Amino acid sequence: MKKFKNLLVKEVRELVTKQLIVSLVMTMLLFYFIGNLAKTEMKRAQAVQKISVMDLDRTPVSEGLTGSLKSANFEIDWVKGDDTEAAVQEARKGDSNLLLVIPKGFGESVGRLEPAQVSTYTFLRSFSVSGIRKSEILKAVVSATNKYLSDDILRKELPAVPPETLKTPIRSRDFVIVKDRMAEGSAAAISGFVYSQSVFLPIILFMIILYSSQMVISAIAMEKQNKTLETLLTVPIPRSSIVTAKMTAAGLVGLLSAAIYMVGMRSFMGGMMGDMGSGAGMGPVIEQLGLTMNGTGYLLLGVSLFFAILVALAMATILGVLAEDFRAAQSLILPIVLLAMIPYMLSFFSDVNTLPLPIKLFVLAIPFSHPFLATPNILLGNIGAVIYGILYMMAVFAVLIIIAARIFSTDRVLTMKLRWRKKPVVL
Amino acid sequence: MSTILRVDGLKKSYGNLEALKGISFEVGEGEIFALIGPNGAGKTTTLRIIATLLSPSGGQAEVLGFDLKKHPDKIREKISYLPEEAGAYRNLRGTDYLKFMANFYADTPGEAEAFIKRALAIADLGPRLNEKVGTYSKGMVRKLLLARALMTKPALAILDEPTSGLDVINSLEVREIIKRFAKEGISVLLSSHNMLEIEFLSDRVALIDRGLILDSGTSGGLKDKYEAPNLEVVFRSAVR
Repeated sequence: MKKFKNLLVKEVRELVTKQLIVSLVMTMLLFYFIGNLAKTEMKRAQAVQKISVMDLDRTPVSEGLTGSLKSANFEIDWVKGDDTEAAVQEARKGDSNLLLVIPKGFGESVGRLEPAQVSTYTFLRSFSVSGIRKSEILKAVVSATNKYLSDDILRKELPAVPPETLKTPIRSRDFVIVKDRMAEGSAAAISGFVYSQSVFLPIILFMIILYSSQMVISAIAMEKQNKTLETLLTVPIPRSSIVTAKMTAAGLVGLLSAAIYMVGMRSFMGGMMGDMGSGAGMGPVIEQLGLTMNGTGYLLLGVSLFFAILVALAMATILGVLAEDFRAAQSLILPIVLLAMIPYMLSFFSDVNTLPLPIKLFVLAIPFSHPFLATPNILLGNIGAVIYGILYMMAVFAVLIIIAARIFSTDRVLTMKLRWRKKPVVL
Repeated sequence: MSTILRVDGLKKSYGNLEALKGISFEVGEGEIFALIGPNGAGKTTTLRIIATLLSPSGGQAEVLGFDLKKHPDKIREKISYLPEEAGAYRNLRGTDYLKFMANFYADTPGEAEAFIKRALAIADLGPRLNEKVGTYSKGMVRKLLLARALMTKPALAILDEPTSGLDVINSLEVREIIKRFAKEGISVLLSSHNMLEIEFLSDRVALIDRGLILDSGTSGGLKDKYEAPNLEVVFRSAVR
């Protein structure tokens, strides 16, 4: 154990270089900075917004509309005169990004039950999210005013019938069923909420797999390149300990790197998404449908993630032996990237259960697919599929670790090389 | 003088290529035994097999009575190996590298300290040992590695081209260190292209070519046998 610890500490020290620390800190700071910037922009978009308004009508109806704008947190900058072109020019020079023109006769048209028209001008000064949101808010205000006016007209014309009944004679009550549970709600909203809660998991997993694998392959390749492997293989420590120490160190540093990246990314995404992903009010429906992760669920998910990382590390150990130097190691990560990329992309765009059988079997044969599928399977109560995935990954890991141990216990660790051209053996 | 290493009919093949065709020799306690021969003769393959890096295709080898195939772990405790093209971990300081290696052999912290103290004396790199290995010259790395190989006073030190890449002064120092440790009881199996080095260092020499030992004996005995002024001529005569 003392010798293993000695080796593990060395491996960690070899991996945690100044370059790695600087790159991790810089990336986290960058994410944090961009996230905060986005958050500030979003807050600014939600704060009091300036809007230029040219009211050529000046009737109670037009005043009702501008009143709604004030209620929606808009600060009105009144444009004088009656020339729309001049109003556009004036607004363009100012700092408001929106111009609303209410034409003369607007109130009269509403009174005659004829379609009344207003013109909105959005000054697209950037392509930022906050810029787009301002015009969306204005549209929402116009829509709310439309509803208010139409309801008012309907109440006057047909006082006996509620406006809602006239406008939406058919109403739909949406129910969602998950296994044996049912709740009232929109399937899209529920799916969106569950997705927003679990969107980070595939990203974390993908990053850990890549980081850890790259570290193991590089560590072995560096031992070869720096001519330290031969010496290490002759010291009195079991070869299995050498393999385990490299895998453990890479796993630990990979987890740490991924955690640091994720803290930064969470801050970034939090700033970008604001409250959009929080799904306020969804809690009871989600609870009712059983779409929450309990202790067993978290345990299964953890075990699934753990074995995926072990499989990646074992694969990387075998691939690392093939690398002659650090440069070759960079390209040897490709098979692992491809194997992780397939379920990673699928987790965003498709459902493995709906795929044609041969493709489904291919996806399930990839060990890394199982942790990606674990979250939806746990939430949907398909525990058997999760356990099958864990057992499958355990079997794959066992086979890979036996191969890795055999390679390290024989002279293949020195003689196995991936060569594109056949070279003579150097004695 | 007790036998530390016994090699009997050792063979190694890489596919169809026979690198070793059945070589035999013995190394006694405190003896310096050298393998000399041209590139591709099988010197490094022999050393790597005895260092437990390569598995033999045939024959036997024993270190202190432990069979190479059955007890490689036991043998690793008794030997140290200095490859021709060896390196040290570039991110570690010289002292940290020595400490890292000493911890594999020492049973107690005190023993590890003693190993490191001995290594510091062998390496003789002064304050540079507190700097990272990545900043060392090739000669400094070689001296550090030799110190690592000898600090544990192994029963058998396997040194492949120990002065490879060193200048004249450093080469002389290294040879003197090896000679001194052999006098203290360490057996040395080494290979070299440098016939002068072999004459200075070795007690006995084996001439190896194309996987076979052509002849062996003391430098003086071989020179007398082949009526040659030096080992280079001895080797040429033996090959013919």
